[in-house]
Amino acid sequence: MRWYIALRYLLSHKRQSLVCVAGVTISVTMYITMVALMKGFEDKFIVETVESSGHITIDDEPRETRTKILERLYTDPNALIAVSNVKPRENVKKIKNAAGLMQQLRHLRGIVAVAPEVDGDAIATYGTKTLNISVLGVDPEEQLRVTTIGKDMAEGNFNRLRTTADGVIIGRGISDLLGAKLNDEISLSSNTGGRTTARVVGIFATGVTPVDYSRAYMLINSAQTLLDKKNIINNIIVRTEDYTKAQAYAAQIESIAGYKTESWQESNANFLKIFAIQTIITYIITGALLIVAAFGVLNILIMAVLERVNDIAILKSFGLSRADITWIYVFQGLMIGLIGTVLGEIIGKLGIESLRRLPIQVEGLIKSEGLLMSENRGMYISAFISSMVIVLLAAVYPARRAASYDPVEVIRGAH
Amino acid sequence: MARTEARLESPPVRTTTSALLLEARNLRRILGTGDTAAEILRGVNLTIFAGEYISIVGASGSGKSTLLYLPGGLDRPTRFDPEGKPFDPPSCVHMSGQDTALLGDTQLALLRNRMVGFVFQFHYLLKEFTAQENVALPMFKLGQLSRSAAMDRAGELLKRLGLADKQKRRANRLSGGEQQRVAIARALANEPRVLLADEPTGNLDRRNGELIAEIFQELYAAGQTIIMVTHDASFARRATRCITMDDGRITQDERAE
Repeated sequence: MRWYIALRYLLSHKRQSLVCVAGVTISVTMYITMVALMKGFEDKFIVETVESSGHITIDDEPRETRTKILERLYTDPNALIAVSNVKPRENVKKIKNAAGLMQQLRHLRGIVAVAPEVDGDAIATYGTKTLNISVLGVDPEEQLRVTTIGKDMAEGNFNRLRTTADGVIIGRGISDLLGAKLNDEISLSSNTGGRTTARVVGIFATGVTPVDYSRAYMLINSAQTLLDKKNIINNIIVRTEDYTKAQAYAAQIESIAGYKTESWQESNANFLKIFAIQTIITYIITGALLIVAAFGVLNILIMAVLERVNDIAILKSFGLSRADITWIYVFQGLMIGLIGTVLGEIIGKLGIESLRRLPIQVEGLIKSEGLLMSENRGMYISAFISSMVIVLLAAVYPARRAASYDPVEVIRGAH
Repeated sequence: MARTEARLESPPVRTTTSALLLEARNLRRILGTGDTAAEILRGVNLTIFAGEYISIVGASGSGKSTLLYLPGGLDRPTRFDPEGKPFDPPSCVHMSGQDTALLGDTQLALLRNRMVGFVFQFHYLLKEFTAQENVALPMFKLGQLSRSAAMDRAGELLKRLGLADKQKRRANRLSGGEQQRVAIARALANEPRVLLADEPTGNLDRRNGELIAEIFQELYAAGQTIIMVTHDASFARRATRCITMDDGRITQDERAE
């Protein structure tokens, strides 16, 4: 019966009800499309970064710093130790016994693959154009196990590194800036004086701009020669079973390896913070829209209550309780919320599909053809729950107000 | 106005042993608090038996309507004096043995739904609903009949009150007299123990007022207990018992010979 009355009341003011429903629909549509858009870019960045650079990186920075000899001798904390004319000793940074460590890591639970890397900066020259790049010396087979760089190859093949002497695989951005195409020869020189001419055997495009515009892969031996890091391994890249648990694995590995070990979350903390802020802004904007829609519902229901004070009195006179009256108005809010939310979700879904097809070239932190939209069930569920909760909260005040009318006062004309 | 269908059954034989329906003891009602407190009822004692047809008359502000609303469970008696002491004897109304003051909101609402039918000066029909739906609403609430059975009974009631052809019409498309008859049909929907009418002819012209008076007469004849407040002396005279109120007290309680 409460549904019967609530539905009839709602339909009696079709225009106002439609405005309310439209408000909720627009808010939910905005929420879904904006979250999908934000998540799309974030997911693309995370997946590409994680998959192209590995889940965990062991750096050549020892965790324990060496205690100086004099400090070992003079342990008194009040002692003043002054040393002059110290000749700085060149410490070559490397991971000691990298092969042994990798072997050890391969036996750890949850570790899928490990690969050695040597890295360093170099200047790439092609014709008159030069560019600072980051050279990664890799073992192609191992690298393909720890990253998905093989899938990101736009031209050429990653395994050609092994078959082509002094081959180099460059990012799409480097290729564009230098103008170097597949099979062109580019000149590479490092800051330690190493020089080589390398043939472009592949071009990759991860879609992550910082990677595509700065990274080049070489065979580990060639890179060691170029960077003057003979037999040196700078980094060990680790792939885990579940990249979301990389932080936990990194902590475990760091305790074993004794070297600074960073998960992809730590390595990309700044970018992730930006995404987190973007997400918060999205929620604030869409939340504000939803609250505005809820105020619309509140307003319409208050008007409906004020218009129907006599109805409330008569409903109470023939047996409806305060709870019944409350429910009649809560039901109206529920129906507005339900119809608005479901419509909003449907239109939001259609909006996502439409935006995906928009021929927009996105170039920034992430490069892609078209807008990146990411959707999941949780997004729709959270939109549904938050919308329904806010609209229902908006309906509670008018409903309680309706229930509080004293029928005798109404009939006497006090209202 | 055609009232050919509005004939109810023949009057039942009244016995002197009619059941006690309603009892008010030391009934008091104070509205407001402190300096603004107004004592509307000042200790009314009233006993009503099933099948009685009672009119309550008196000047405006004498407490007639309040006396109607309290037994109907639409209002609650004041239990304590302005100093916070309970009245002695307690101010209470018993409807079919139940002290209405002890009932919660839901129980009191249920009592109104099952035992009482209200008719007001202004019909207060729900304008979004048809005449038939307005009458069926109390039955929907009671839930003893299926939706279609309730609608059928509502149609039957409207037919008995001469509104057979107006069942599907929206309440706000009916004339004042028709609306009041729909309100009476709604009050009778759940076969209430008592029909409480607050100036049912107060907003009607003479012809429609007469029609309502006839309906009440027929309802009484059919055994319906009726208590009505009216300013219309001729209407009041049709009742078998006339209670006169003045300043919150019953000053006269006469039974017709």
